[in-house]
Formats: sequence, C-alpha cells, structure tokens
Amino acid sequence: MSMEDYDFLFKIVLIGNAGVGKTCLVRRFTQGLFPPGQGATIGVDFMIKTVEINGEKVKLQIWDTAGQERFRSITQSYYRSANALILTYDITCEESFRCLPEWLREIEQYASNKVITVLVGNKIDLADKREVSQQRAEEFSEAQDMYYLETSAKESDNVEKLFLDLACRLIGEARRNTLVDNVESPLPGEGKSISYLTCCNFN
Amino acid sequence: MACRRGLVECTAAVDRHICNGVCGCCGALRPRYKRLVDNIFPEDPEDGLVKTNMEKLTFYALSAPEKLDRIGAYLSEKLIRDVSRHRYGYVCIAMEALDQLLMACHCQSINLFVESFLKMVAKLLESEKPDLQILGTNSFVKFANIEEDTPSYHRSYDFFVSRFSEMCHSSHDDLDIRTKIRMSGIKGLQGVVRKTVNDELQANIWDPQHMDKIVPSLLYNLQHTEEAESRSPSPLQTTEKEKESPAELSERCLRELLGRAAYGNIKNAIKPVMIHLDNHSLWEPKTFAVRCFKIIMYSIQPQHSHLVIQQLLGHLDANSKSAATVRAGIVEVLSEAAVIAASGSVGPTVLEVFNTLLRQLRLSIDYALTGSYDCAISGGTKIIKEHEERMFQEAVIKTTGSFASTLPTYQRSEVMLFIMSKVPLPSLHHPLDTGRAGENRNRLTQIMLLKSLLQVSTGFQCSNMLTALPSSFLDRLLSATLMEDSEIRLFVLQILISFIDRHGNKHKFQTISTIGDISILKLKVDKCSRQDTVFMKKNSQQLYRHMYLACKEETNGRAHYEALYCLLALTSIELANEEVVVDLIRLVLAMQEVALVNEDNLPLYSRCALYALGAAYLNLISQLTTVPAFCQHIHEVIEMRQKEAPYLLPEGVFAEKPRLSRNLDRLGPEILFRQSKISEVLGGSGYNSDRLSTPYVPQLTDEDRLSKRKSIGETISLQVEVESRNSPEKEERAPAEEITYETLKKAIVDSVAVEEQERERRRQVVEKFQKAPFEEIAAHCGARATLLQSKLNQIFEITIRPPPSPSGTITAAYGQPQSHSIPVYEMKFPDLCVY
Repeated sequence: MSMEDYDFLFKIVLIGNAGVGKTCLVRRFTQGLFPPGQGATIGVDFMIKTVEINGEKVKLQIWDTAGQERFRSITQSYYRSANALILTYDITCEESFRCLPEWLREIEQYASNKVITVLVGNKIDLADKREVSQQRAEEFSEAQDMYYLETSAKESDNVEKLFLDLACRLIGEARRNTLVDNVESPLPGEGKSISYLTCCNFN
Repeated sequence: MACRRGLVECTAAVDRHICNGVCGCCGALRPRYKRLVDNIFPEDPEDGLVKTNMEKLTFYALSAPEKLDRIGAYLSEKLIRDVSRHRYGYVCIAMEALDQLLMACHCQSINLFVESFLKMVAKLLESEKPDLQILGTNSFVKFANIEEDTPSYHRSYDFFVSRFSEMCHSSHDDLDIRTKIRMSGIKGLQGVVRKTVNDELQANIWDPQHMDKIVPSLLYNLQHTEEAESRSPSPLQTTEKEKESPAELSERCLRELLGRAAYGNIKNAIKPVMIHLDNHSLWEPKTFAVRCFKIIMYSIQPQHSHLVIQQLLGHLDANSKSAATVRAGIVEVLSEAAVIAASGSVGPTVLEVFNTLLRQLRLSIDYALTGSYDCAISGGTKIIKEHEERMFQEAVIKTTGSFASTLPTYQRSEVMLFIMSKVPLPSLHHPLDTGRAGENRNRLTQIMLLKSLLQVSTGFQCSNMLTALPSSFLDRLLSATLMEDSEIRLFVLQILISFIDRHGNKHKFQTISTIGDISILKLKVDKCSRQDTVFMKKNSQQLYRHMYLACKEETNGRAHYEALYCLLALTSIELANEEVVVDLIRLVLAMQEVALVNEDNLPLYSRCALYALGAAYLNLISQLTTVPAFCQHIHEVIEMRQKEAPYLLPEGVFAEKPRLSRNLDRLGPEILFRQSKISEVLGGSGYNSDRLSTPYVPQLTDEDRLSKRKSIGETISLQVEVESRNSPEKEERAPAEEITYETLKKAIVDSVAVEEQERERRRQVVEKFQKAPFEEIAAHCGARATLLQSKLNQIFEITIRPPPSPSGTITAAYGQPQSHSIPVYEMKFPDLCVY
C-alpha cells in the first residue's frame, strides 16, 4: 500500500523581473483565474497542482518568486532544489527582456546544473504593444539552449501547455536519470522506458 | 436543511465503507488496528474525536507498538483522502488523533510512525486553505517539541523549511489571516530548528540552502514591527496583540537559532543577515541593522562573537565601493556590536580588525579627494558626496574607539603602536607623496589616524607608561612633521594629555587660570611610581623639547596653549619627581624667554599667551611644591601683572576678547618670573639650584636633520649667533662661558648644552664608535657634517658680510675643490669628506 498520492513530484520555480506576470501564470494554471490588479509578490508564493500525464499522477510544487530586487536573496535560495525554472519576461517590456542574461547568470550560480529552464514571453494578449519580437526571443532561447513559449495568462493561451509540456519533459528526465543511476546493475525490463521522451514535445 | 446535511454525512459514511470494501477488508475481517482507527471518527465530524475510542486506540498502540507504523499509515491514508474531498472536519479529527498518539508513544517504533505523520503535515501544508496550513503547522510544532531518543536517517525537512519560509511572507488579503499564517510560518521554522539543530544525523539545518531561507524570513517579519503595532486599534488589544506579534515571535526564534549555533555555523547564519540588510537597504537608516546585530550579539555564545565581528568587517570590505552611507551603517553596527561583545569582540586577530578599519579610512579619504571610487573607471555614475564620506570617517574613528575600549591594556598599546605606525611620516627610505594632492592626502590621513589614536587613548589607563609608550611610538608621535599643521599639532598634544592623565584630572585643567588655591580642583594624585621615574628619565628630554617647540609655533591658537598648559600640569602631577619639577620650571622659564627675546617674531597674541601660560603653570607648580618662598615670588609677580599688565595673565589673554598690549618690549623685571630668584628659593628647599639656574636648551634629535622645517640646528645656530653677538656682555656676567673656538667646537660636536648629560653622551659616542657598524658611523658623521656646514654658513654670514675670496686655510682644511663661481662658504662638503 503506497501512502503517496502521486507518481512524480517536481519543483518548479518561476523567476523573472517584477511585473512580468509570474503570479498570474501560476494562478491561471492552478486556480484557473486571472486576478486583475495582482499586487507584487512578497518573498515567495507556493502553489501545488497535481496533473495526470499518460495515466501518471504528477504533483507540481510551484514556487512563485518575487521579482523585486530586495527579495533576491530569499528567492535565490529556492533555485537550488528546483527541477525546473520558468524564466518569464514581458513581451511588451524591452527592459524585462534585456535583463534575461542577468537572470541566466543567477541560474548558473544558484540552480542545480540539471535544472530545465524554459523561457516564457508573457502578455501576448497585448500584441499591439509588443516590444520584443518572437523571432528575437526564439534566437535568444536557441542560443541559450532553452525552450521558448509565448503565453497569455489573461487569455489563458499556452499556460496549460507550458506546465504540461514541462511536466512531460521532467518525467522523461527523471526516467533517464534513474536509468543512468542504475546503469551498473540494470534491472530486467527497465531498458524499454527510454522512449518516453516522445510523449510531448515543445512547439 | 438538516435533513439534507444528514444525507450528505450518510453518503460520506457509505463512501468510507465502500472504500474499505474496495481495499479488500470487509467488516469484521478488517485488522483490529483499522477497526480501532475507524472508530475514532464520529458520524458527524462536528462531534469531534470519539474520546473513548481514542483511548482504546492509544492503549492498543502502547501495548502493540509494532503496529504503530501501520496505524500511522492508515490514518494518513484516510486524512489524505479527506483533504482531497474537502471533508475538513475529519481532517482535523485525524490530526488530533495523530497528535495524541505521537504524545503517548515515546518508543522506538515512533520512527516509522513519524514518517507517515510528516507526510500528513506536508499534505496539510500543501493546501491553499489557511486553516489547514495552520493546523499542520501546529501539529508539526507539537512534534518538534518531542525529544526522540532514536536517530532517524532518512528524514528531509526541505519542504518544511521552504513552505514555512514562504508562509512567513504571506500576503493574504485578510490582515488577520495573514498575520496568523505568518505566525504559523515562524513557529514552523522554530520547530524545524528545534528538531534538527542538535541532531547531527539529520539534515543540516545550518547549510546555506536552509539558512538562506530561514534567516531572511525571520528578519522580514522582524523589520515590520512598527507597522504591526500601529495597526492595532484599541490599547487593550495592543497588549494582547503584542505578545502575539510576528515580530516578537521571529525575534525569539532568531535568538533561539543563534543561541544554538556552533562555531562552524555562525558564518552561514550571519551571512544571510547581511545580504538581507543589503537587499532591503537597511544599513542606511541603520536602526534596524543595529537592532539585528544587538539581537545577534546578545544571543550567540560569547566565545563566537568575534566571528560576527569578522564577518561584518569582511562585509565592510566587500562594500568598499558602496555608498558612504551604507559603509557608515556597517561601521556603526560594528561599533555597537563591539561594545556588546566586550572582551571577546576582537578575538585572535586584533590587528586585522584595526587594519581593516584603517584601510577603509584611507580608502574613504581617497574617495573624497578624487571624487570617485575608482580612478580608472570614473564614469561619473556614482557621485561621491564629501560630507557623507566625512560622516563615514567619523563613524570609523568612533568604531576604532569602541573596539579599543574592549581590549586589555597591553593589547591597547599594541593597537596604538599599530595606528601610529600607519601615520604617514617622511623618512629617508620612504619619501612621502609629493605634490599638492599627495600633501593633502597625507595631511588628511594624519588627521584621521591621530583622531583614531585619540579615540583609542581616551580612557586608556596604563599602570606602566614605559611599556605602554615605547620610544618607537613616542618618536613618531613627537615627530616634527606632525608639528607643522596647527590642527595636527593640537591632536598630538591631546593624545599626550590622554596618555598622561591616568587619574581623570584632565578636565580640571581645561581652562588656563591662575587660581589662588588649587585645593578647590580636588586633584587626585598618586605618588610617582618607579616605572614612571624611569619613563621620565628616558623620555623627558624629548617631551620637553616637543612642548618647547610647540609653544613657539606662530599658528597656535587658544586651544594649543590650553593643551600645553594641561600637558604641563598633568606631567607635574602624574610623572613628576623633584628633578622633573625642576626641569619643567626651567622649561616654562625658557618659554617666557622665547616671548621676551622674540627672535622668531611671534605675533603679539602668541607672546602674551606664552607669558600667561608661564604664569598659570608657575602658579600651579608653586602650590604643588608647597615651598612658601616660591609661592610668594610667583604670587607677587602675578599680583604685579594684575595691576600693570593684565594682558600677561591667562584671564586677560584667553578671554573672549583678549586684552593685548602693543608694548611688550619694555616689561619691567618685576612682572617677569626670574630664574635666579626661583632657583634661590627652591634651592633652599632642597631642589637642585645649580640645575635650576641653567637655562633650558632643547635636545637635538636625529630627526631634526631630516625635517624640512627650520631645524633645531638652525635654532642652535641662532643661539650661537645671539651668544656671539652678546659675547662681551656675557663675558662680564659669566667669564667661564667665554666663547672661544674651543667652546664653539664643543657646541657643534655636542649640541646638548645640558652639562650633566655631556659626560654620559660622550661615553655613548665612544661606545658607538667602537661597536656600531661602519655605515652607521658614516651616516652619523655625515649628518654632523651638514650640521657643521649650516653652522659655518651661519658664522660666515655673521662675521664676513662681503663674500671673501676663497680663504686658503678653510679650503685647504677640508680639501674643497676649487670652483670659483660660488663663494666658499656656500659650497657643500662632498660626501667623501665624511669618511
């Protein structure tokens, strides 16, 4: 009898400049709502959501960090244990895009080297105010070896996809890791699970 | 309505039944522990835990502890299901049962039970519902207070630390709920700390990954004290609420955490504090930073306090290029922390502490002078405000003082030596930076370091002056370079005063006056100790010389004379034996002579001040010696001055509007203190009258030759000049002191006129020539040659006005190569002459 109510547990941390819509993305995904006039996050926020992927229960611990500089030290401490990072910027705000290299440095410094990073351009509902072209962001993410997705928390565009795709990738990664760990003494019947990666793909 | 509710409950019960059925354990066949667990749940969750059945379960668990883990697993399974179905009443009941079981069972098998317990707490904490979060936290806190006697290897508190820290930052819309959640978070963190801190097998709570969450969370709540207090509406509630405020609680938690920190953990605990203060820019108003570090210093184990200081110093260094206000904040915190840490604050690396502070001081001086943090990259992005830098410098100086005050005497004098060694002084090997900027920097550095020194020396009470003030220190302090600038000169005098004043008499001599009865000063006097006598034997000449030269400076102001008076007075009561008293009187009379002869063309004020200084000091010393005839003479002169020349008394000169007279050249002998009279009256009381009647002449030191200012050599030459001018008169008065070539030579070879010392000096010279290495002797002679040259110049200037043609005897004597363009007396001796 298993006491666990899930098959996989992943920690996902959202980072990015203040006001790019991290909290809204999380709210949209976990609660299905878009809180207008969402205030600035203090320190860090916690949400949990269990999703089912291919019949497996995946519990996502989502840590939504404050973008403000003053909380940087506490938010950094959450990077370390993260399985995945969602690096968010605002497509209508050039500044938030320009800060990305700085965020990548932070990731380099504080996060584990196995972490999966996804770049998210939020607020595509405000297309007429766009300051960062999709192509530019795609080029950037390619150069940095990240997945890239454009979302709108308001219109609920791509939000579900973002988290589900990420969960898929994490499962694949987790399986591969157990495989690598067991390479010394492979268990019978384990070898076939290598093709799980194909269950979802980005873009 | 009630019917409908009953229905809901009914279906719920059926639900449960079906579940059990699904599990494959129907009714009576279910294991006993499952039946016991099921029975504690009432039909209606509003009824609460079924107490009698709970007792049965507890009894069963106690009598069959091997079943405990299964009970736990089953309970948690039920609870998790209830949470997902939003049956919160049952959740609470399950939790209550768990708590009771946990409390009741202190046995080995608790370990497995704990695992399912923690899973349930985690489940509750995952919930968005504040009630469940709080419920989970409360259970966790109860658990944290249980002391387990068996180690547990596989327990991870990562999630708890993360979640509790997150709760500490709750931004729930409802203020009350927000406060509750935050309180819960703090309590939870406290629980984790309690649970793990002393168990080496468990997750190391001191790892940065945990500390970086725990500490900022506590500080975040701590810094919101004011807000929370101002919000509470009625005064009655205030008292109650304050007990429960998150700020108070987090302070308590922080203290507990720090109190448990071992040597190796301090660093990890303190670092996040400093980063938090950086990020929230809390150094600048500094109240909070000071409060934090007060909490830290008072709660950590005292033997570790120097680690905190070291970290702060390191942080100061890391912030070298931050705004002055930030640095000032850190330094202020350091100062406060040092006082709390008392003797332990500095730890094993005393000098490192002061080195860091002095380095920061120098950096700040540079910043203020250059106007940028980095000469190379002066993009002008950061504008340096000079007054802020100055505030920072003052803060550093203050901090230096508070550190020093925590040190034992021997370390303090070490520190003073260290600071003194950092004061930039010119020397043969290390010429100072030249140019205006360099001079300015040197001057500022000298002032700042002397200020620090003064700060360190205040309250310094050394029992043994000899060890406290080694000559390496005094030499530098009394160096001539430190006399050129009036501000620096005053600092040096004040430092000397605070060294010599060991009985707190300093303030009694703050103003110069000629009081009729010094008993009203209530001076505290100890008899001069043997060490003090030795100290004075060794250093008195140097001290006298310094005072003598200091009094001749034109730029002296009132403060200088007051300091000189204070120094003289303190020397007389702290360090004086008969010999010293005699010398001090000679010194003061020589000062009067300076004012009288006025060969330096001192301004009027300086001359009057010197007379007044003499009057005040002699008034004091006469009363201290208690020789009636001496007192009488002094008294007479002072009375005379009061009548005829009040501008020669301190009350006249050192007033708001000094009364000065233009006519200082014709002073009657009755208003001057006479050496002959004094030596006569004191001689009668057993003082050395021979010595008293010899005028004081300052001793020449090595440094005078190096210094750029008008050297003592010159002073002596001038005296030679004066003496040779007045020679006929002098011959009449003292035929023994006939100026012949021999006496002149003697005066050149041995510039000290003090006769008693001559023999001793000669012996030393002989010894030196016998023992010293060749280079040293050569250097010595070289120095003397320059002295000789300057004196010869002097004499030539006096005697032979028109430059004569190269005079054969002299050139021949010194092997001067012929160079016709320069008059011989202006030629320099070649270096080879030395050898």
